[in-house]
Amino acid sequence: MIRSFAAAALNSLRLLLPALFPSWRFFDVIGPSPRIEVAALSHPDDDATAWRAVRPRPDRLGAAGYLRTFFFNPRWNETLFLVTCAEGVIRDESDHTLREIRDRLRADLNRDADGTAAPWFRFRIALLSRHDGRVRRDVVFTSPAYPTVDGAGS
Amino acid sequence: MSAEAAIRLTEILLALAFLQKSVEHCVGLPDERRYFLPLAALSLLLLTGIESDLVCYALLVNALFILHRFQGPYNGGSDLLGYLILVCLCLAHAAPDPVWRDYALAYLALQPILSYFKSGWSKAIHRDWWSGQALRDVFDFSAYPVSDAVRARFRVSALLAPMSWAVILFELAFPLALLHRDALVVALAMAAAFHVANFLLFGFNRFVWIWVASYPAILWLQARLAAAGVLPWTG
Repeated sequence: MIRSFAAAALNSLRLLLPALFPSWRFFDVIGPSPRIEVAALSHPDDDATAWRAVRPRPDRLGAAGYLRTFFFNPRWNETLFLVTCAEGVIRDESDHTLREIRDRLRADLNRDADGTAAPWFRFRIALLSRHDGRVRRDVVFTSPAYPTVDGAGS
Repeated sequence: MSAEAAIRLTEILLALAFLQKSVEHCVGLPDERRYFLPLAALSLLLLTGIESDLVCYALLVNALFILHRFQGPYNGGSDLLGYLILVCLCLAHAAPDPVWRDYALAYLALQPILSYFKSGWSKAIHRDWWSGQALRDVFDFSAYPVSDAVRARFRVSALLAPMSWAVILFELAFPLALLHRDALVVALAMAAAFHVANFLLFGFNRFVWIWVASYPAILWLQARLAAAGVLPWTG
């Protein structure tokens, strides 16, 4: 108990270090950009075919939308966090980043379907990048199937 | 601006920035509330100014829990600067004398100045930024444009190269504004406008709140340097 608390405290201090000595290099190199897509499944062994973009951005944002999101923008900031997690999955497939994406997609699916969500889902990550002057798209990761309701099926 | 005034103003602006992000997290995943409801309560306390040193220490403990929860910053640079401001406030409150307090405040002031200069430098050494190609890529395929209309309008704009150079030159020149108070006030207004533009294009609302919270320390540093006679002008 004490040992695990000490390990967590040390880990938090380690995570604080980049704040104390930041590198401050915003947008220096525009690297490949991840997009997350999700597919609903009836059975965990089904092949996913109907992929759709997670949280597509709006066509446009009006003055009222800008005013509101200046003060309260949880959805967009969570979407940016999902991008960070997707980069983490590509980098090392850590349990933490996989779990963050899974839990947030699960919440989305349950909210959007209003109780009628498919029982399983899978997500995948595509990378968009520029090659020879054109934007190309490569799927670099596909998740296992997850139950749409937390704790169900596994 | 006195050190005491700079610290108090920073506390107020930091509390508002923390309150803003707390409210956003309270509608996130249910487990996030156990970290962000205390943050909201502590931020309200910090706004009142009562025992603000103890509140800052408590906020730092809360920050460590939040860092552990997300295994790093949730919102990139905005979280990093928020934690940096908080640590510097804690150090300023814990300082045994005014000299050490001033060192803590000076470090807080130095980092946002460096954030502009180093960002400008890291762009200036990449050829893609000279032609506007890097900015074109941001609008073309990065995940950041806030709407399809923004993406479509700027991906083919003739303004991309001038916009790139304007950003690079502003960021590189920012430290020069320390030479005179009036220049610094103008530069900070331009910097705030730059963050608002980033919000309009990329939805980075939290960056506006937290970067502005660091400005009182910069104003204090400029006044401190001017009073010490190390600046060529006395503004």
